Amino acid sequence: MSSIMLSMNEPAAASQTDPRAGKYLTFQLANEEFGIRVLKVREIMGLQEITAVPQTPAHVKGVINLRGKVVPVIDLRLKFGMATAEYTQRTCIIVTQVQGESASVLMGIIVDGVSEVLNLTAAEIEDTPDFGEAVAGQYLLGMAKVKGKVKILLDIDRVLSTQDLHNLNAIVH
Amino acid sequence: MPHSPELRRQIEDLALRLVVEDSDDGRPASVWIPALEQIRDSALREQAGPVSAAATAILDEINAAGEPDDETGRVAGVLQEGFTRLQQALDLEPQPVAVPDLQISQDPELLSDFILESREHLAAIEAQVLTIERDPKDAEALNSVFRGFHTIKGLAGFLELWEVQKLAHEVETVLDLARNSQLTITPAATDVILQGADYLRRWVTHLDLTLQKQPSAAPPRDEPLLVRIHALAAGRPASEPAPAGLAVMAAAVETPPAEEAPASPAAPARAARRNDSATRSETMAVKVDTAKLDYLVDMAGEMVIAESLVRHDAELGALKSQKLQRKIAQLTRITAELQKTAMAMRLVPIGPLFRRMARLVRDLSRQFGKRVEMETQGDQIELDRNIVEELADPLMHMVRNALDHGLEPPEERQAHGKNPTARLLLKAQHQAGQVVIEISDDGRGLNRERIQSKAIERGLIAAGDGLADTEIYNLIFLPGFTTAAEVTNVSGRGVGMDVVRRHIEKLRGRIEIRSTPGSGSTFLLKLPLTLAIIDGLVVGVGEERYIVPLFAVREMFRPAPETIWTVQQRDEMALVRGSLMPVLRLYRRFRVAPRSEDPLQSVLVVAEVEGQRFCILVDELIGKQEVVIKTLGEMFRNVAGVAGGAILGDGRVGLILDLDRLFKEKSADAAH
Repeated sequence: MSSIMLSMNEPAAASQTDPRAGKYLTFQLANEEFGIRVLKVREIMGLQEITAVPQTPAHVKGVINLRGKVVPVIDLRLKFGMATAEYTQRTCIIVTQVQGESASVLMGIIVDGVSEVLNLTAAEIEDTPDFGEAVAGQYLLGMAKVKGKVKILLDIDRVLSTQDLHNLNAIVH
Repeated sequence: MPHSPELRRQIEDLALRLVVEDSDDGRPASVWIPALEQIRDSALREQAGPVSAAATAILDEINAAGEPDDETGRVAGVLQEGFTRLQQALDLEPQPVAVPDLQISQDPELLSDFILESREHLAAIEAQVLTIERDPKDAEALNSVFRGFHTIKGLAGFLELWEVQKLAHEVETVLDLARNSQLTITPAATDVILQGADYLRRWVTHLDLTLQKQPSAAPPRDEPLLVRIHALAAGRPASEPAPAGLAVMAAAVETPPAEEAPASPAAPARAARRNDSATRSETMAVKVDTAKLDYLVDMAGEMVIAESLVRHDAELGALKSQKLQRKIAQLTRITAELQKTAMAMRLVPIGPLFRRMARLVRDLSRQFGKRVEMETQGDQIELDRNIVEELADPLMHMVRNALDHGLEPPEERQAHGKNPTARLLLKAQHQAGQVVIEISDDGRGLNRERIQSKAIERGLIAAGDGLADTEIYNLIFLPGFTTAAEVTNVSGRGVGMDVVRRHIEKLRGRIEIRSTPGSGSTFLLKLPLTLAIIDGLVVGVGEERYIVPLFAVREMFRPAPETIWTVQQRDEMALVRGSLMPVLRLYRRFRVAPRSEDPLQSVLVVAEVEGQRFCILVDELIGKQEVVIKTLGEMFRNVAGVAGGAILGDGRVGLILDLDRLFKEKSADAAH
């Protein structure tokens, strides 16, 4: 599969009322549709050979070579506690740029498939309902209703926060 | 300094409007915001702290007060009260406010250029001032220092950095007089000039921090310093430095033949041969953004891999075309050359770092009342720029230690029949694929008894342990260790040597100590040539690929049945040439599926760590490869046994083994 590089010069759609409005890349995981801000996406590529790194939690699949840079890759299904699935032709790695502990870092996430880029207005975005303690609400920016379907908007910086990974690594030992 | 008429006028206008316009008429409080913001901004520009603070406070309260339709009465009250505070603030003297100076200067890019250039000029100024100290008539050096301050003054003026400009101007005046022979530079004068340079450096640091959006306070105007500079220019002698008489400057002397290279941070400097009057050589150099440089190096690495894939492609080989093979060979040569050149761009000479030490030695020798002459050798030796940066702190600490504890005062030296002027040597040289940096002094040497008793006192060793000299000396690397009778403000806090060692180990280097009581001490820092590249032995375990750093590999072989022994039904040992060494089954350690668990079908790699050997059991040897080390990132910081990643010849990522860690774990296991 070819890689698609997205131009990062797009300004977020102007909206004085909701900072969450703007362009999102949507993708599928199990039966759910998720979205992350387009500004966080660096590249989309097909699945390639991943080098496993020992003593890491199950959802940390390993690292890949991205044009000379070593980039960690996470299986988002496993991260969210969903069942694993076979990787198919549609399975992709979305390379994101997120805020790490000290600087912005590249991280890849494995998703079932990529859908489209949506331009969400403030009217289409709602706050996440309170599911209680069970669901990790802090990962979510909100929910979007588009064409009768619901997309879950992820705060990808939080999802891929290395702090969680450090804690998990410590527990694994 | 009174507030500007402008600011007063703005506040008075606002006062008038408050009185004349009835704020109870239901208009939202936000109509006052523009005027208040204007006042706040004017106040900030004039550094009128209390006024800007008061204005900001009012703005905050208005914003918090909510919608116009509720409680406008309250808003009016807020305004009145806030306004009273504004007037009071106006009557106070303005105080400088720790406000990012970006409000004064404009363009971040211009600023970062200024920061870079100023740093270079200041480094040159420092070096040349030390030259002037030795020879106050050195016209070339005087001119050079003058030009340095003059340029900084100009740049600062352009960017409206008034404090910087003012001070630079004052020092420039002194230098101008000096280069026109109307003023002689005494040692006291050099002190003042250096203090001026220090002040400017503090400003540059502040600007840098501000640019990085970190909190920082602008250095306040140093009136006493300005007075001293004025005094110099007016021909009045500046106050004598203390302690007088004992103050001798440290000279930076280079032994020939040496090529002096300018302190250019990134690009390689091919220096012209240095002439005897120590003039700075003119070189052609380009400043390159280090991010671009790293990218180039990455790309060059990728190109090597792509080229290798082409070269080994089966289909192309099947064509059996001579011409094609020749063309590919040409491509290979060019690619290799490109990569070597790209890597070489990361190298910078160590000379400038040594020269920074010269300044430190000079200052400390005055402070401690010791006479020291510093000598450097191997200034032209080049190291990866990251290594040079990391070395600065450890080097400074060791120089401080030497001057504080190692070297005796002149009287003591004379009493022992030594030259009252002590000698400190900083030397860099290549040795067996490593760079060795030597810090030697001819001082007291390490005091074995003191170290030993201190260690016993702290329970680190038992009395009568019978440790060798080197082992005793190495105790100083333990955290919190100091034998200094009193903790001076420079060293002796006991946080030093263990941090130094950690710095060096981070660079994959080692420190060695050699010392002779009464004659002096030598610290040897042994470092790899570059942080970025190592020769690796690529091994395979199942589907995985690992890289064993080649410098640690002693031999590899397929074990025979008699080679492997099991001890206590648990640990495995291998008998290699009469020595027993522990065996580490890599597949077990990393929990991956091997091709075979049978040692007789596998390969043993003998590795050596700190003089001790152990064997690593792998499925097969893939080959030897020079690899560029890539860190795996924050995420994998806690993974033990893996030192980093590298791109292999087929484009995959291989994991580089952390042999030190693996060996330590193995030893710890066996100890139970």
